Amino acid sequence: MTNSTYLKRVFQSYYRERKDEIIPVSSLKKREFGFIPWDKKIMIRHMGFSDINLLREYTVNNPPRHMYSSGSLYNLPNNQEMEYKDYVGCDLIIDIDVDHFYTPCKDKHDFWYCQECNHSGKGMIEKCTKCGSLKIKKFSWFCEICLDISKKEILNLIDNFLVPDFDIQANEMQIAFSGHRGYHLKIENDKIRQLTSEDRRELVDYFTGRNINFQILGFDEHAGQIFGFLNNNKDWSRKITDKIQNMLLNNTNEEITKFLEQIGLSKNLIISFINSKDYFLNILKNNDYNLWNIEGFGITTWKRFLKGIVHEIGVEIDEPVTIDIHRLIRYPGSLHGKTGFKVQALTLEELYEFNPLNENKKHLNPIVFESYEYKQKIKISSIEIPEFYIRDKTYGPYFKDDIIDIENHIAILLLSRDVAILEE
Amino acid sequence: MSNNSSNLSQLLQQYPWLPSLKDIYRDIALKDPIQFINDIFDNEQYDPIIERISKFFSVAFENLEIFPPFKPDENNISFYLLLKIILFVLNNKRITNRIANLYSKVTYSEIKKELEGNNRRNGIFILYQICINLGLNIQYIEEETYHTTLIRDNKKELKTNFKLYFTDFLHLSSNLKDDYRKLVNNTLSKGYVYIIPKELTRLIQEYVRKKILEINQIDKDNIENMRKSLFNNQNFKSLYDNIYSLWELKKEDFEYSIQVRFEKDKNLMELFPPCVKETLILIKEGQNIPHISRLFLTFFLLALDYPVDNIIEIFSATPDFNKQIAQYQVEFAKKKEYSPHSCDTLKSLNLCMATKYKDKLCIEGYFSKKKEQEQKIKHPLFYTQLKQYKLSKGQND
Ligand code: SF4
Ligand SMILES: [Zn+2]
Ligand SMILES: [Zn+2]
Repeated sequence: MTNSTYLKRVFQSYYRERKDEIIPVSSLKKREFGFIPWDKKIMIRHMGFSDINLLREYTVNNPPRHMYSSGSLYNLPNNQEMEYKDYVGCDLIIDIDVDHFYTPCKDKHDFWYCQECNHSGKGMIEKCTKCGSLKIKKFSWFCEICLDISKKEILNLIDNFLVPDFDIQANEMQIAFSGHRGYHLKIENDKIRQLTSEDRRELVDYFTGRNINFQILGFDEHAGQIFGFLNNNKDWSRKITDKIQNMLLNNTNEEITKFLEQIGLSKNLIISFINSKDYFLNILKNNDYNLWNIEGFGITTWKRFLKGIVHEIGVEIDEPVTIDIHRLIRYPGSLHGKTGFKVQALTLEELYEFNPLNENKKHLNPIVFESYEYKQKIKISSIEIPEFYIRDKTYGPYFKDDIIDIENHIAILLLSRDVAILEE
Repeated sequence: MSNNSSNLSQLLQQYPWLPSLKDIYRDIALKDPIQFINDIFDNEQYDPIIERISKFFSVAFENLEIFPPFKPDENNISFYLLLKIILFVLNNKRITNRIANLYSKVTYSEIKKELEGNNRRNGIFILYQICINLGLNIQYIEEETYHTTLIRDNKKELKTNFKLYFTDFLHLSSNLKDDYRKLVNNTLSKGYVYIIPKELTRLIQEYVRKKILEINQIDKDNIENMRKSLFNNQNFKSLYDNIYSLWELKKEDFEYSIQVRFEKDKNLMELFPPCVKETLILIKEGQNIPHISRLFLTFFLLALDYPVDNIIEIFSATPDFNKQIAQYQVEFAKKKEYSPHSCDTLKSLNLCMATKYKDKLCIEGYFSKKKEQEQKIKHPLFYTQLKQYKLSKGQND
């Protein structure tokens, strides 16, 4: 049996036996649905369902590999042409996925090999480090560290942006673990639904701090002297001064050095900065005096420093998802075809405690096929699978052609990731 | 009339584009247009309105920013409604554009006068009423200083009585994006953007402008009929004809001056003259180009408002590219506002590519309606505008 045939059956059993997991999203009738089947690499889009039971029935009869619904509302969601769907509005969608940004653990569990020269290596790269070819095959994995970073990002968004700045209420937020390496957030609010793509771009800039203008916020050079932000404002400059204070107070010199190295400051500048820590902290606290005078720091260095700080504050969101008003997002309760994990809907309160790879509340556990009695024999087809932990248990590393007899949910995970095949 | 509604009628007399006009001045606002025109044009009492209309169009066509004084009374409402009817039947986007610009500027200056007059509180109150009438989610607060900057001894404080809900802010400022109006550079707290009265007024100006532009989007099938019916009124017809011939006369002065401007994701290549195309192609091929061509291209793109970064991006394909140097040069040129060379100069520098590209526009020139003769292209920027004009008219040759 091929992986797909097998997994399709497994997914089908889930959709049959746990119908209630497919919860109705708001305004279900007005949403467009999309499915990726097992046998073809296409998306079946432009579907609509008039009630939740029809949708559940559909998933039993056609168990999808991936399942999505639109952030948008349409009067005619199943019309094949976008322009005739009669668009009503679109929820604000935010996707945070470690796929899109660097995490230190990737140096351990992500690897790649070059299809041109066969060179291989670890970590997140764009092109072959040996021959420069772009023809590289990437193999990415995930772990508690990157999932945790991704959770911190979504909490950063909620706690530092959505609630204080935008006054978004908890009951307007639909949060979900994506079933793989990230989280989604859907904000359902009548006014926000009406925002154009352009408006959403403005929100993205706000969340990421991109296109920020330091001069407008109060940072400027005058006659060779640098005047910095005052700290009693409520705009982005406040986030910046808070972050700097926080760094000066709570980070070790090593950590600060590392940050300054990362943004490309020279040794001398770094030493100069570390030596001025107390001085700088005092200035930041003082609201009548804002001459930022650190030896060797000219306007360019300061701007580089501020940009680095902004990057630390900003949220790592997948920007096109937020800007595009015709996107589909994973359906809560459906299964992620690359892991076999459930897309887990979460309330804000649940999110704080949530741990996707080791979740103790049964109804929130995305690993729906978890079983220690039922085992499955599979053969590793990928070159290497790094060591990984799930539910406090260590697995691997595995290498090509290893045959292992392994717990059901791990087998499904490896089969779904297409790094193993069934061994009969 | 209660005090409240008399306040409101006063407000509407001055700002007749407010949504409440339809409720408070039902009789005028919802009158059948033909009836409305007959009433106005067959009664000498309303001659001042008609005179004001003529004046308004000619000021707009001259591109002047003069705002002849007017009395904010019921005639001002009729003036606004008449303006709309004329724009509707003229059905000419560019005229509507002109009028929208002028009318919205008048609005801005009216509100500004209120704010700067000796009763500022009253001005603030009027601004607030306007926002409420527009259905904006606005909060009136005790005056609050929300942003302070300090450069040496120069302390600048931004204070306001207003906070605008962020979705309204985004919506109203969407056509005006510059760094100052980007959300990320504004003060946003608990869903509301702090906004100074003057800036709020600017957003309202933009609202009014957009509202007038909408006139040519509605009820398109009805234009012919309406025009015919309205022309039955000779007085109206002669006003219409006057406006129209005035426009024809003025038209060419700015006909070709449709602004060609850099827009993200829009390829302007087809509008560029041969001299510019040639340089761009050489760069794409990775060839080194002479310094003088480099300068010319920089000045040219800057004149079209290309962002510095995009220009540098273009140069990045040249073999001797050095980002720092390029950055310095482009920024320097921008600061100095050098304008691109004229055709004569380019010809003398051997950079004119008219013959090589067999470009008809460059070789033959164009027919000037104003001068009633063929004219040669004198400047590559003018080429771009003319090309844009021709393309928009579907004259592609
Ligand atoms: S005629 Fe002018 S615009 Fe045309 S190619 Fe020559 S220099 Fe350029
Ligand atoms: Zn290689
Ligand atoms: Zn990881």
